[in-house]
Amino acid sequence: MIRRVFVLIGHSLRRVRAALIVLAILLAGFQFLLTQVAAYLMRRNGFNQLSDFIPDFIRTAVGPEGLAFMSFGGVVSLGYFHPIVMTTLVGLTIAIATETTGEIEMRFVDLTLARPLGRQTLVVRTIVVLVVAGALMLVTMMAGTWIGLSCCVPADADPPGAGVIVRLAMSLATVMTCWAGITLAIGVVSRRRAVAASITGLLALSTYLLDYLGRAWEPAATISRLSPFHYFEPMAVITTQSLSAANATVLIAVGIAGAIASYVAIGRRDI
Amino acid sequence: MGRVASDPSPLDPSTPGTSPSAIRLEQISKTYGSISAVDRLSFDVHQGEIFGFLGLNGAGKTTTIRIILDLVRPTAGRAFVFGLSCREQSLSVRARIGFLPGELGFYEDMTGRATLKVLARLNDVIVDRARQAELLERMQLSTRDLNRKIREYSTGMKRKLGIVQAFQADRPLVILDEPTEGLDPLMQDALYELLLDTRRRGRTVFMSSHVLSEVERVCDRIGLLRRGELALVSSVPDVRKMAARQVRITFREDVKVDSAGLAAELPNNCEMVDRTPLAWTLRVRGPLGPLLAAAARYRIEDIEVREPHLEEVLKTYYQEQTAGR
Repeated sequence: MIRRVFVLIGHSLRRVRAALIVLAILLAGFQFLLTQVAAYLMRRNGFNQLSDFIPDFIRTAVGPEGLAFMSFGGVVSLGYFHPIVMTTLVGLTIAIATETTGEIEMRFVDLTLARPLGRQTLVVRTIVVLVVAGALMLVTMMAGTWIGLSCCVPADADPPGAGVIVRLAMSLATVMTCWAGITLAIGVVSRRRAVAASITGLLALSTYLLDYLGRAWEPAATISRLSPFHYFEPMAVITTQSLSAANATVLIAVGIAGAIASYVAIGRRDI
Repeated sequence: MGRVASDPSPLDPSTPGTSPSAIRLEQISKTYGSISAVDRLSFDVHQGEIFGFLGLNGAGKTTTIRIILDLVRPTAGRAFVFGLSCREQSLSVRARIGFLPGELGFYEDMTGRATLKVLARLNDVIVDRARQAELLERMQLSTRDLNRKIREYSTGMKRKLGIVQAFQADRPLVILDEPTEGLDPLMQDALYELLLDTRRRGRTVFMSSHVLSEVERVCDRIGLLRRGELALVSSVPDVRKMAARQVRITFREDVKVDSAGLAAELPNNCEMVDRTPLAWTLRVRGPLGPLLAAAARYRIEDIEVREPHLEEVLKTYYQEQTAGR
């Protein structure tokens, strides 16, 4: 049985390898680029000029965490919570996590499940592919940052430590885990991949906006706790140099719950 | 490493009883909301036979097949393959089945070769290369064809690839859903030969179809599904017997008998279809003896008997279905 699970994993990875390689290169390139932007601003004394432009009331409103990214380390770290990066990673997670739904829709699953393979094998396969893909993205992103910091950086720059970068990547991993679980759970009860992906995508977008709303508007703060992004606090990682265990626990718990739900549900549904 | 595909092993040694049915359905029902797809379906498919599962579109053939494969869960009833429960022993059941789906969901961007390779490796046995090569030759799929992406395949080529993947692990039971859909006549013949070979080697074939001529040609028994209910299970010769034979008798000289006299002369199992002074065309149910005895009074030139086709019987059932709606 294990051999057959690996056959399925290999099949899935072969199918997505081109997309994974391209995305990994782009994300690593983006991290490298940010190190060079930070270096450029540093050489041009740009951080002090940017700081001078910000009015006091904004300084008060955003607090020290909000201003933390206006430093060499802040700009370098931006690649781990930039909306483009977040969208790419959550989008990739949704695309992979709906693979089983897609196979049910296109009936490839009739060919695989006509063989002695448990239905849950498909969920296990998807989880493994998610882990491999997520790890590849985050490792290449960190490699991009490391390469960028290893060259062309001013001597007086204060780059973020390796620990901070790793924690930022881990923080991103918890978000991806959460959305992987949500997508798996939605996908396994859907008959169409596009429907599952759209629902999850809209949910991700709306909860992302809800989190922003909650941070900017006090009355929405309570309801914004429903957003997974509420528990993603990269600025806190930068300023405190630690990853909140409580936040990570919430996101990972949601991810695991979603995975368990999909594992159970696929055994009960009609294919 | 898996086992190499070899002789069929329909039963685990530990399974009690000998020679169970290849497929046994007991009161299988499946409803989707208020719609009944299959209703209290019960029948047996014997080991070593080719069983044709007939029905109009939407009759419930594919649903039944999917229940056997545990892709769909029945609302009521139980299904068994070689005595194993399709629900509780699903993996063991599927280890004994080769399956050709009606809708082939191949990845279009994969080559035929890569598809066969993945599907072969998902089996619990190692597919015999010689067996695969023989199937590819029978289905006339060349190396060049296999190296092409499936998006470049015609419907018939996809079907041929589907047939190869269904037979390549050499399972004791092969389930085929509309196997000749999209195949040209030559390939249909090749498939029929493959089915007959499969039966000769002791395997069982369960095929759904709505092509009556193919069922008549290769199947030992048929089951007719009508609106989710089993309308008929019988051997093909027995079904043929249910239909009237057409008999044409030509005479050496004019037969001078009026309608009333003819009605008195003809046995009850005969029905006159056409009549000229030199020839009668009749439909006869059952034995021909009484008709021949009646006709022997006149000087017979020739007698031509046309055996009924399965189609004639089954169309009656289909028409009943249409009328019943």
